[in-house]
Amino acid sequence: MVSVRMQSCVLSLLLLNVFYSFVSPLYFHIGETEKKCFIEEIPDETMIIGNYRTQLYNKQTEEYLPATQGLGMFVEVKDPDDKVILSRQYGSEGRFTFTSHTPGEHQICLHSNSSKFALFAGGMLRVHLDIQVGEHANNYAEIAAKDKLTELQLRVRQLVEQVDQIQKEQNYQRYREERFRQTSESTNQRVLWWSIVQTLILVAIGIWQMRHLKSFFEAKKLV
Amino acid sequence: MASVPAFLCALSVIVALVSDSFVALAAFSQSMDSDFTFTLPAGRKECFYQTMKRDASLEIEYQVLDGAGLDVDFYISSPSGQLLFSDYRKSDGVHTVETEDGDYMFCFDNTFSTVSEKLIFFELILDNMDQDEEPDDWKEYVHGTDMLDMKLEDIMDTINGVKSRLGKSVQIQTLLRAFEARDRNLQESNFDRVNFWSTLNLVVMVLVSGLQVFLLRSLFDDKRKVRT
Repeated sequence: MVSVRMQSCVLSLLLLNVFYSFVSPLYFHIGETEKKCFIEEIPDETMIIGNYRTQLYNKQTEEYLPATQGLGMFVEVKDPDDKVILSRQYGSEGRFTFTSHTPGEHQICLHSNSSKFALFAGGMLRVHLDIQVGEHANNYAEIAAKDKLTELQLRVRQLVEQVDQIQKEQNYQRYREERFRQTSESTNQRVLWWSIVQTLILVAIGIWQMRHLKSFFEAKKLV
Repeated sequence: MASVPAFLCALSVIVALVSDSFVALAAFSQSMDSDFTFTLPAGRKECFYQTMKRDASLEIEYQVLDGAGLDVDFYISSPSGQLLFSDYRKSDGVHTVETEDGDYMFCFDNTFSTVSEKLIFFELILDNMDQDEEPDDWKEYVHGTDMLDMKLEDIMDTINGVKSRLGKSVQIQTLLRAFEARDRNLQESNFDRVNFWSTLNLVVMVLVSGLQVFLLRSLFDDKRKVRT
């Protein structure tokens, strides 16, 4: 009984740390009307979670402070067939999630929704971005709490998910390699065919030219 | 009596809040890595920044997946503005930096190209970001199975080992995926090129032959006979 309490205590620790885990992802600067896009090539049925945090340059204090509430980011996600699967506006700090249904290159685009050009005051918006794919997107604290797993079970579950992800990626790799091979073979064939056809066309045109001109000169009584 | 565990729990929660480090989560992920693929338009430069702690290590690996000569300029500079590495028109590269506190900036530069945009993939592998805390601190709060303590630790160690190796597999897979994407893009652009130039060639040949015949005929059609 005491151990159960301890476990729930550990889990709440885990939960808190997961919440505070958004510590130091990559950041970059984005202009007012600028759109930044990232491409993720993923197998199907893979979940992607993106976290972002924005900061605006404050001229008085000469540092980057969290952006005002009105400033939001517009997130648009397109699937490999260029169909929009997510198109939403989030606040100055947000998290977006989507699951891929077709394997391939998904495009994640971010741009700010600011319509007042003076808002950025000539500076740039600093965006911290973190994109987690597949198994990394799982929230294990949640899973542990929901399924009431012990720590060992949680670890093993995580290993299983990791291996699943690797296997999915390998399957996708095989499909991609097949497409690659098809393109290569098609190119190879076309090069061969074109050379043959080109030679035949040249010969045919040459013959046609000679015959046409010969009959032309004969008609003009020059030969 | 029953309030002691509750008090311990509350205390540990407060400690976790104050310390701002992933005590328990560190046991799940010793090294963090993230990869991004983006399009760099022609004549543009894109910079990314990464906040680092002291005595950690930052490894960055990049590849150009698509776009004309498959090359890009790259440089990485320290928080004090000092240029650490600089690559000129390379198609891929890998650099490791032993870091100090601050924001490291790395940039991809496509200004040398006026027409072709590049598709760039890069991967950041951060190690030793969490050297401040002991990963095993939280174990003190788990009392559970005392008899099996040693065995449990062994199992945990094995699982951790497996997990880190699987993590390495994932990294290698990401790399392979980038290589394959680059080769595939290359082949697809070859394919497009072959199609385009073949059609153009055909059209030009037919046009030129028609033009030749037309010109020759026009030489003799101007009401003047070359020979009487």
